[in-house]
Amino acid sequence: MINLIPCRLGLLIAGSFALIAAGSSSAFAQAGFSPLDKSNPAASKQDTNLKPHATPPMAAPADKLPVDKLKLPAGFKAEVWSSGHPGARTMVEGPKGTIFMGTRQLGRVYAITNKDGKREVKVLLQGLTQPNGLAVKDGALYVLAINKVFRFDNIEDNLDKPGTGVELTDKFNLPDTVHHNWKYADFGPDGKLYIQVGANCNICEINNGIHGQIRRYNPDGSGMEIVARGVRNTVGFDWHPVTKELWFTDNGRDWAGNGGPEDELNVVAKGKEGSFFGFPYCHANGVPDPDVKIPNPCAGVTLPAVTTGPHSAGLGIRFYTGNMFPKSYQNVAFIARRGSWNREQKFGYDVIVARTSGGKAKLEPFLSGFLDEKGNAFSGRPVYVHQMKDGSLLVSDEQNGAIYRITYQAKSAGKTASR
Amino acid sequence: MGLVRKYWRPPVLGLAVALLSGEAFAQGTPLAERIQACNACHGEDGNSKMENIPSLAGQPEFFILNQLVLMRENVRQVEAMVPFVKDLKDDDIRALAAHFAKLEPKASAEPVDPALVKRGEEIASAKRCVSCHAANLGGQEQIPRVAKQRIDYLTKSLKEFGDGTRQGADTNMSVPVAGLSDADLAALAHYAASR
Repeated sequence: MINLIPCRLGLLIAGSFALIAAGSSSAFAQAGFSPLDKSNPAASKQDTNLKPHATPPMAAPADKLPVDKLKLPAGFKAEVWSSGHPGARTMVEGPKGTIFMGTRQLGRVYAITNKDGKREVKVLLQGLTQPNGLAVKDGALYVLAINKVFRFDNIEDNLDKPGTGVELTDKFNLPDTVHHNWKYADFGPDGKLYIQVGANCNICEINNGIHGQIRRYNPDGSGMEIVARGVRNTVGFDWHPVTKELWFTDNGRDWAGNGGPEDELNVVAKGKEGSFFGFPYCHANGVPDPDVKIPNPCAGVTLPAVTTGPHSAGLGIRFYTGNMFPKSYQNVAFIARRGSWNREQKFGYDVIVARTSGGKAKLEPFLSGFLDEKGNAFSGRPVYVHQMKDGSLLVSDEQNGAIYRITYQAKSAGKTASR
Repeated sequence: MGLVRKYWRPPVLGLAVALLSGEAFAQGTPLAERIQACNACHGEDGNSKMENIPSLAGQPEFFILNQLVLMRENVRQVEAMVPFVKDLKDDDIRALAAHFAKLEPKASAEPVDPALVKRGEEIASAKRCVSCHAANLGGQEQIPRVAKQRIDYLTKSLKEFGDGTRQGADTNMSVPVAGLSDADLAALAHYAASR
């Protein structure tokens, strides 16, 4: 079988990267879902045939994208910014304007550049296990794929030849459990790399020393600290531009009813690093878990700033600091909700606004139209949001492998939008 | 059958040569030729007669499409498949998926043990296999048909999900197999194959 190895090398954009990909195969068995999981669909009174929606491994053609269905407040407009990159999820921007995009099942990282007013999409890396975690610092791209961590220095000068990067996996020492551990990562205002380590089950007792956390590290993987505990699965966080507090979305458990427990938007208050956010005992606004029972399940639990809807799957969050949108949007958070699977009547599939104040938040709709409520069907799944330098907002659509750009223009001079 | 046989041999020889050189196909290979190459292992009608090689007949179209992409991308790593998938274009994959999805699934000639089928049915009920694999175990969307699949392949796959060497496109299969003995897994395989 040795003759096959050159084929595998040929498969990959960066040839030597195959060595890394090969290392993730059977030699290092990766655990999936925790066997301690206590999900009880029969007791949930839900349709027990609900199952996660498939993510298409191929992108929708540009002329089939649902951009015409999208609804926004007055003065806002959505257009297709790029397409043809299946599995479109996380977006981070390099100093020279390259958008790097992570995926889950497809194992790719894309680099999207501007050329003559059009987008050029390159498959930068391939064959990784769920490389959802991307972060940029000092011109380097950090790629996190479950427990693997790589740094690609001066990446924007090497888009055609990214090489193997500097592997930091051993330094970060993240668990190799896969479930809920496609990473979200970002550098905080303190220069540290914040990384989520999700619960490796739907609902179970977890090892609090390992799972259900947000951690922070020095960029080289040293100095690990636990920032938040009892977090089921956050796949998006950001820091408030003024207070510098960490806000994170968190996805509620499944198989406890169509009505929830609802997803959460949480905040780690100043000086409260290490707070406990309730998983697996206490969900949403103080809902005791029906399957993992302890006395006083919500004692000592930091409750959310606001709940964000049942099974809505709030993922990416970004506080807006740009100059394009009306002043009323300054410092508000945009949250992409990927939409429900464990709910008979589908819910979410939109981008909402969270107006935060004093550790609480109020929600309002922003981008909708992907969900056909009457038909109980969806045409797109918004997953992450990214603010461009010009103040426009990118929204990635994992279902269709596309990015939409949202711009604002006041209707007439002297008249600003009411919201 | 005679015609098929006649037409059949040269591609198999070609296949052997291709395997030695590590190149199964040039780009632009006609669909019929690709299908014949698949058939060499997966069976002439998409129902495998080879040990540990899965049947593809009647698999959900999306499932075949998804797995071919994941193998091409080197995410699902099956070395024997690499020469056949590495240069597949999206359109080739769509056509192959449509072809195999339409074929009629047939049980293999492997002996089915009725006692194991009975035991397997009990386990399958407890593990709610039908909630994803559908009431007839024929699969749906990204989830494979397990009814009429080969017993040896089902047993092998279940073991791989159990020991973590295979995760699937997501991690869901690691839940139902957790804590099951090899005998339980064999019983599940006999049950599914017999449906």
